[in-house]
Amino acid sequence: MTATMGDPAAGAGPVEPWDGEREPAQKPEEPSLSAGEWLGRNLFSSPVNSLLTVVFSLLVLLAVRGLLNFTFSEERTWRAVKTNMRFLFTHAYPQDQYARIWVCVGAIAVLSGLSVGLLARVGRGISMKKLSMNLMATGGVIALGIVLREPSAIVDDEGVALHRDVSAVAGGGSFAGWLDANAFTVLAVLVLANVALALWFHLQGTYLRGGPEPRTAHGALVLVSVGVLIVQQYATGEVVRESFADAMSDRAWWWLAAAVLVGGGAALWLGLGDARRRNTFVPAMYVFFVGSGLMVLSAWVYPWGHYGFLEGEFINEPGRTVAMTTKLPWTVMLVLLVATYELGRVLRAAGAGPKLRVPLNLLWVLTPFVLYWAVLRDPDLDWDHVLSTDLPMAVFFAAFGGVVVWFLAHPRIGEAGRVMAAVLVAVAALNWVAAYFGWYPMLQKARISFLLLAVVALLAHNFAGDRSQRLKLVAAWVATMAVFHWLVTLVNSPSTVDTPTDALIGGFGITLIVAVFTLLLAFPMGVLLALARTSKLPIFRVLSTAYIEVFRGVPLITVLFFFTLIFNLFLPDNMTLVDIAGATIGFALFSAAYLAENVRGGLQAVRRGQYEASDAVGFTTVQRTLFIVLPQALRVSIPPLVGQVIATFKETSLLAIVGIFDFLRIADKVISAQSEFLGVKREGLLFVSFIYWIFAYNMSKHSQRLEKRLGVGER
Amino acid sequence: MTKNKALLWRALAVLFAVTLIAASCGDDDEDAEVTAPSETAAPATGDDEPDAPTTTVEDVVDDTQDGDLLDTVLARGELNCGVSGSAVAFSETQPDGSQTGFDADYCRAVAAALFGDAEAVVFTPLTAAERFTAVQTGEVDVLMRNTTWTQSRDTEVGMDFGPTTYYDGQQLMAREGDGFSGGSQVADIAGAVVCTNAGTTTEQNVADAAEAAGIEIELTTFEDFDQVTENFINDACDVITTDGSALVGRKANQQPAGENWVIFPATPISKEPLGPTYGQNQSRFADVVNWTVYATVIADEKGINSGNVADMAANPPDAEAARLLGAADDEQQSNMGLAPDAFYQVIAQVGNYDEIYSRHLNPVGLTREGSANAGWLDGGLIYAPPAR
Repeated sequence: MTATMGDPAAGAGPVEPWDGEREPAQKPEEPSLSAGEWLGRNLFSSPVNSLLTVVFSLLVLLAVRGLLNFTFSEERTWRAVKTNMRFLFTHAYPQDQYARIWVCVGAIAVLSGLSVGLLARVGRGISMKKLSMNLMATGGVIALGIVLREPSAIVDDEGVALHRDVSAVAGGGSFAGWLDANAFTVLAVLVLANVALALWFHLQGTYLRGGPEPRTAHGALVLVSVGVLIVQQYATGEVVRESFADAMSDRAWWWLAAAVLVGGGAALWLGLGDARRRNTFVPAMYVFFVGSGLMVLSAWVYPWGHYGFLEGEFINEPGRTVAMTTKLPWTVMLVLLVATYELGRVLRAAGAGPKLRVPLNLLWVLTPFVLYWAVLRDPDLDWDHVLSTDLPMAVFFAAFGGVVVWFLAHPRIGEAGRVMAAVLVAVAALNWVAAYFGWYPMLQKARISFLLLAVVALLAHNFAGDRSQRLKLVAAWVATMAVFHWLVTLVNSPSTVDTPTDALIGGFGITLIVAVFTLLLAFPMGVLLALARTSKLPIFRVLSTAYIEVFRGVPLITVLFFFTLIFNLFLPDNMTLVDIAGATIGFALFSAAYLAENVRGGLQAVRRGQYEASDAVGFTTVQRTLFIVLPQALRVSIPPLVGQVIATFKETSLLAIVGIFDFLRIADKVISAQSEFLGVKREGLLFVSFIYWIFAYNMSKHSQRLEKRLGVGER
Repeated sequence: MTKNKALLWRALAVLFAVTLIAASCGDDDEDAEVTAPSETAAPATGDDEPDAPTTTVEDVVDDTQDGDLLDTVLARGELNCGVSGSAVAFSETQPDGSQTGFDADYCRAVAAALFGDAEAVVFTPLTAAERFTAVQTGEVDVLMRNTTWTQSRDTEVGMDFGPTTYYDGQQLMAREGDGFSGGSQVADIAGAVVCTNAGTTTEQNVADAAEAAGIEIELTTFEDFDQVTENFINDACDVITTDGSALVGRKANQQPAGENWVIFPATPISKEPLGPTYGQNQSRFADVVNWTVYATVIADEKGINSGNVADMAANPPDAEAARLLGAADDEQQSNMGLAPDAFYQVIAQVGNYDEIYSRHLNPVGLTREGSANAGWLDGGLIYAPPAR
C-alpha cells in the first residue's frame, strides 16, 4: 500500500515534471513529549500564557456549550430541515425524475475517484501517530460535548415542556439552583482562582520544574471550573429537566461513538511502538472512505428518522432509519467513489497517469455542461431537425474546418496561411453583417462556428508542426465541433422535466450550478482581461482597464439586480433573459474583473528574462504567452485565485436577494412561511451555514495542498 | 517577425471590431428562451430560422410584439403566474416545490378558465422588489402576490388591478395577560413597546394611528416578521402589528401554551385590499382574470361548489347560473375568447370563493363570518356584478 504511493510515475505531469519524483527532505526527529510536558511548555509556560489559556478555554467551553444547547434544545424544530431536505438541495425538481440528480452526483463521484486515484500526489498519507491522536481527540471532544450539553426538558403528552415556579428555585434549595442564580460570580471567582494559582506557582518557580504537584493542583481547579459549567445546567431555569443519570443514558449512542473513537485511537497508540507510530502511513483517502462509510452505515442502522412530503401529506416517523431513497443512492455513490479510486490506482500503477491526465481534465470541464443540459434538463430532441440540419452542419464544419486546420498548421505555409485566415475572418464577419441586414439566411450557430473557425485559423500557425502534431490539431477541431454542435442542439431543445415553477432546479443545486458556470465563464475572461491590461496595445489596455475598474467599483448586488431585473427592459420584445442566466452573467462579469487582477499580479511576477529568452528562441507572442508566461503567472496566482473561487461560491447566496430560490432563500424565507413550520428559521440557517462551511473549508484545504504541491512561496 | 506580429494583431483587432458589431447586431435573433419558457438555459446560441416563418415559435413571437396578451397566453398553453412563494396560507411553497394557498388557487382558477386545466400554471415566485418589474416585462401574465391596490400603484407603476379577493387591514396583537382584549382600541396601547418589520407601510400606519389617538408609543422595528414574533414571544415587545391575516396565522401557529394572544381593534387601522394585478391596457386578458374571480363569487352566492357543479350545470337553478356554467346556449364565455364551459371548469377543478377561502384560510384561523370577506348578503364586501 505504501509502496505504490511513492510511484515515480505519479509525478510525471507536464507542468513540473521534477515534482514528486524526489523524496522530500526528512525533517529531524523531534523528541516525544509526555502530555504533561507538552501542556507545560505550550499552554502554561508563563503567567500571561497561563492566564490566556485558562480564560480563553473557559470562553470556548461557554461558546461550545451555548452552540450545543442551541442545536439540541427541545425548542428546535429540526423536523423542518429534515422534511425539507430535498427542497433545500434541489427545490422543485420532481421526485419521479430524481434519478437524474443521482446520475449527476454519481458522475462527479466517478470523476473524483478517478482523478484522485490516478493523478493526486497524496504523499505518504497520514501517520499512525497523527491518526490515533486525531481519533482520541475527536472522541474526547464528543465526550466533552455530551457532558457539557444541558439535560433534555421533561415534556408532557402534548410535547410541551414542563415549567416550574422560578422564584422558588432561585430562592434556595438545590446547589445547582444556587449555582444558576450566581453563575456569573462563581465563574468570575473560578477564573480569578485559576489565575491566582497559576501566578503563585509561577512565582514559586515550581510550575514547570518542581514536580507534578502544582500542575495537578491547577488541573484540578480547571476541572472544577468545567464541572461548574456542567452542573449549572441541571435543575435550573424555568424548564423542568431530567437528572444527570437520565441525560447520560439518553446519550448512550453518543457515548458509544466517543468510546469507540477513544478506544480505537488508544489501541492504535498503544499497539504500535513509538517508531512504528511515526513511520506507518495510511492514505488519506482511506481515512475519508472509512469516515464516510461509517456515516452511510449509520443511515442503515441508526434511527435518524424518516421525514418527507409526499402527495400533500407530511411523513413524520422519528423511530425509523432514513428513507430508502436517501440511503441507497448514497451507498451506491460511496461504492462508486471507492471503486473508481481503486481503478485509478491500478491505472496509475500501470503507468497510465500521464496519458490520462489531459482527457480527465477535459472531462471535468465538459461535465457541468453535459450534466446540466443533457442529464438534468432531459431535452426533448426534435430528431427530424437533428438529422436534417444539426447533424449535417456539424459534419460539414468538422470536415471543412479539419481541412483548413490541416493546411494552416503546415510549418511552411507562410503568407498563404495569413491570406486564408484573413478570408475566413472576412466571411465570418460578413455572415453577421448579412444577418443584421437580412441579406441571406444563416443559422446563428453556423455563424458562431464560422467565427470559431476564423479564430482557429488565425492561431493555427502557432501550433504548426509535423504530421502527427497536425493530425492532433485536426482531431481537436473535430472534437470541438462535435461537442459544440451537440451542446447547442441540447440547449435549443425544450426540457421535458416538468416542475411547478419557472425554475428547473433551485436550492443548493442552483448554488453549485451558478458557482460552477460563473467560474467556467469568468476564468477565461479574467485571463484575457489580465493579458489585455498588460498588453502593449493601448486600445486593449484602455478597454480592459476601464472594464475592470467599472466592475470593481460597482457593488455585486447592483450588478445582479441589473442583470436579473433591469436588463430585460433593454432587450427587444421577443427576447428575455431568464433570471438564472442573468445572475450567472452578472457573477461572471464581476468575478472576471477580480480574477483579472489576480492573474495580472501573477503576470507581473514573471521575470523579464523569461520574455527575452522566449523571444530569443523565436516564439511568437501567442506561443510565448501560452507556453512560457501564463503557466508561470497562473502558478503564482493560485492562492488569490482560490480565494476568489471561494468568495464566488459564497457570494452566490446573494441570489436569495434577487429572488432566485437558492439555498439561503429557502432556509430563510420559504421554510419559515410553510404553515407546518411557521417561523422556524434558525435551524435552517444553521444547517445552511454548516453546508457552506463544509464546502468552503474543503476548497481552502485543497488550495493549501495545491500551493504546497506547486511550491508557491518556496521557489 | 515584427511585421508578421503586426499583421496578426491587426487581424485580431479587425476580428475584435467585427465581433463587437456582430454582438450588438445580434438582437434580431430569437432566443432559445422564447421557444421554451420553462427552461433555465443560460443565454443560448439560439437557432433562428428565417427560412421557416410559419412555425408556432414565430406566431408566439409576433403575438408578444404586437398582439393581445390573451391570445399569447392561449397559444402558449400555460399561465405564468407571479406569486410570493413565502406567504403563509396565501402562497406557500411546500417541501416538494408545489404551491398551495389562496393566491395559488386563484392562479389555478385562471388557468382552469383559460385552458380547462387548473394545473397549466407555471408559478414564478417573486420578491416584493421584483414583482412590478416582472409584470411590466411580461415575465408573468398575472400577479397574485398579496399586493395592496393603491392609487399610486394603479396609476404610476403601469399596472391594472383586478377585483379584490381578500380584504385585509393592519391590526395589533397583544397578550391577554397584559390586560388587552378583542375590544381594545389603539388608545389602550399608550406607552407600550410596539414592534413591526421595517421598511413597510405598517410602520407609518401605526405611528399615524397613535398620533390620531393622541398617545405615545415606543416603536421598534426588525428585519422581518419572524423576528418580530420571536421578540413578542420573548416579551421584548408588548404589542406587534402587521396585516390582520398574518397576525391570525402567527397566533394559530406560534402562541405558546398558557398564553392567549388577542387581535384588535375590530376595525383595522388601514385598508389593504389584495387582488390580482396585470399589465396595463390588456383588457381582454383582464376580463378573463376579473370574471374568473367574479365567477367564484357568484358560484358561492348561488351555492354552486365543486361537489355539485355537475348537477347544477345539468339542472341550472336559474338563468344566470346556466349562463355562467355554459349550460345555456349563448356566447357569454365564447365572446371573451374562452371555452363555453370555462367557469364550469373553474368551479369543478378549483372551487367557489368559499371553498378556496375555507381550504386555506380557515386552518390558520381566518374565518369569513363577520369580516369584510363575508359575502355581501352576509354584511361583507365580497360582491360580483351579475353574469348576464
